[in-house]
Amino acid sequence: MARTAVMASSTLLQRVTPYFYIAPAIGIACLFSFVSMGVSLWVSFQHYDAFAGGSQFVGLDNYRRALFAEDSYFWLAMRHTFAYVAMSVVGTLLSALPLALLCLRAHYGQALFRTLYFLPSITPGVVLALVFFHIFGNYGQLLDHAWSALPALALLGVWAGAGYNMVIFLAGLTEIPQLLYDAARVDGANQWQQFRHVTLPMLRNTLVFVTVMTIIGSFQVFTSVYIMTSGGPERSTEVIAYSIFLNAFSVAGQMGYASALAWLLFAVIFVFVFLQMRVFRSRRIYDE
Amino acid sequence: MTHLKTIVSVALALILIAGVLARAGMTRRWIEDIGSETSTREELRVWDWWSASTNEEYGAYFAEIERTFEAQHPNIDIIYQIVPFGNYVQKLSTAMVGDSPPDVFQSSVYWAEGFYQRGMLRPLDDLLASESDADPGNSLAKEHFLPTAWRHNHALDGTVFGIPQIIDASCLLWNLDILQEASSADEELRDLFAHFPDGSIDYDRLRFDALHDWDHFRRIVDKLTIRDDDGNIERAGFVLSAYGSGAGMFSPWLASNGGRVQDAAGTRALFASAAGVETLEFLARLYWVDRISPPFHRQMTPSELFQERKVASVTAGTWSGKDITRNSLGWTHFGKTAFPPGPSGDGPSTVTWGNMLVITRRAENVDAAWAYLKFVCGLPGSLLRSKHLGYNGPRYDFYATQRWQEALAERPYLSTVKQICLVGEKLRHTEITAVDHQANPIFESVLLHYPEIVAGDGPHESVEAALQLAARNVDNVYARYNEQVARWLTERRWRGQL
Repeated sequence: MARTAVMASSTLLQRVTPYFYIAPAIGIACLFSFVSMGVSLWVSFQHYDAFAGGSQFVGLDNYRRALFAEDSYFWLAMRHTFAYVAMSVVGTLLSALPLALLCLRAHYGQALFRTLYFLPSITPGVVLALVFFHIFGNYGQLLDHAWSALPALALLGVWAGAGYNMVIFLAGLTEIPQLLYDAARVDGANQWQQFRHVTLPMLRNTLVFVTVMTIIGSFQVFTSVYIMTSGGPERSTEVIAYSIFLNAFSVAGQMGYASALAWLLFAVIFVFVFLQMRVFRSRRIYDE
Repeated sequence: MTHLKTIVSVALALILIAGVLARAGMTRRWIEDIGSETSTREELRVWDWWSASTNEEYGAYFAEIERTFEAQHPNIDIIYQIVPFGNYVQKLSTAMVGDSPPDVFQSSVYWAEGFYQRGMLRPLDDLLASESDADPGNSLAKEHFLPTAWRHNHALDGTVFGIPQIIDASCLLWNLDILQEASSADEELRDLFAHFPDGSIDYDRLRFDALHDWDHFRRIVDKLTIRDDDGNIERAGFVLSAYGSGAGMFSPWLASNGGRVQDAAGTRALFASAAGVETLEFLARLYWVDRISPPFHRQMTPSELFQERKVASVTAGTWSGKDITRNSLGWTHFGKTAFPPGPSGDGPSTVTWGNMLVITRRAENVDAAWAYLKFVCGLPGSLLRSKHLGYNGPRYDFYATQRWQEALAERPYLSTVKQICLVGEKLRHTEITAVDHQANPIFESVLLHYPEIVAGDGPHESVEAALQLAARNVDNVYARYNEQVARWLTERRWRGQL
């Protein structure tokens, strides 16, 4: 009886122990992510000012203002954000995947190329923005025109993220069994057909991951806008994250409105990612 | 052997970390406390954005302020915390929420009114009323300050919430090398310079009233513009910026045309007036019709072009002389004027502002804070700012000192600064960042698309329509802000702060 009790308590301890290990991480995540998200949700229903300290419940007023007020820039900012996201996703896929394919073919110096391409990813965004501010200023004055400023920012985003995404693709490419290529070659497949019918399907999960991460990151683009254009010229680069920042920290008493904008952004990203995950649900291609 | 290597590596790492911490000043308090008895000094936490990391002269200025003030007040220990201008409001907000705001801080006129209306700042009227300093140099009474400096530091009901420590104004900055060279064959250009008592021309100084009106200005900058055979500008007479600086660049010209950006109470935008339309059209025509400015280019700022001597004149602040001299490795041959009167204006004008020192409502040691304000905003502080930073002062008595006479001799460009600072309108002061966010893109589009607007093919029906749209949007900002102020007042009454 006693032996059974000891065994039971030992089993219980074994089951509980892992939770103790992850408790600090969960605690930190709760405190700095979930609690602050909860606070921001609460603030989005208030007129709230950090300086004055007080708040007043206003229901959905902040959301109504963002969505329907005459002088709201929410829809304009969302339009710009969507355009930025689209350019970033296309640009990332068209740059990172070819780079990974080229890197994979390099017999010598693959590590060197990987490192070189990865360097922008570990360079602070502010530094990149300042450097590109001068590059775009000296060559083509891309930031001076409403039609070219946003694509220029997207170009910077793609360039900065290409190395990181290339490494992800490279990892995905090295996971593809050589056997499949050998079989395709025996069946007479040329390079393009191998890419189209072996590489792309086998990279499906990696593609979904890179696309989702690029979409999430692009929806939150801020640093380059803040440093390089301040939303101009003529509001052509005013994106939603910049609007949130401006209202939260530069306009008196608009923290509630800024929080509402943040939650609207969250909703948009959530819907997007949810739909994408549903459409491209992860599966093992060669089991089909 | 491996053990020894580990010990040496760890020791080196510790020495490196200690060195970094010591060099960063993080161990200063700890080192100061070693060997000293338990300190009975009261700490006074002061925030500022003047950072030695951007200009080493700020470091020397604060060091001397601290040294001199602490010698006079051995019971007070000043602790400076430098916060970048761009993050100031954000950091203050965090400090307020965290219940650890500074005791004293420098407040830009951008934020001062809002801070007071939120109840963050301690009214200073009782401290001013109890002033009984025999030495007028230490007095902070209103009559010791230029009236243009004593404008942003009190509410409409007269409550004083800050003491000015500087006086600044927008001004026109002129490259005297270019002017002098061009004036050799031009009487009108020669007439811009001041004269020595013997009647000869003083090529180091401009007359304060050198520019008669906008037409005169246009003629002068046109004469200073050099174009190649194809009409491309090789050297511009003046530089206009379209990107982001719309309302800031527009407001001194508007003041010189008898207009104002906003009403005193911060409830209404006033710039969509006939004077406003005239002003914006004048600026747009300078660029598109008179072609006296280099092409709009976001990357190159007007002050950079001026420092590189690529333009003859530029809009700047009266404070900017020392920075230009530093950035251009010692060049001082430039002069300053106010903005000439426009068709609806009445004499030279500009906009002025006086950033101030304020005491937070939560300051624990008000006497120490007030003593600090008296020192820094008094004559001694003004003299130190002149010595280290090359600034003129907001006080009358400053201009009667030997120090000011020496500064004028060293840097003749200061000769018109006091007059410029005295003629201005009050800089816009209500929710400036939010107002800029609404108005600047519209100013930007007018300047960028003026020919299309005139042709009826632009983003706005007319310049007037553009200004009316901007004014409507700014009125919304004011309305929202005033609703917020009303809520703050209710809150403060409820808390018994009023």
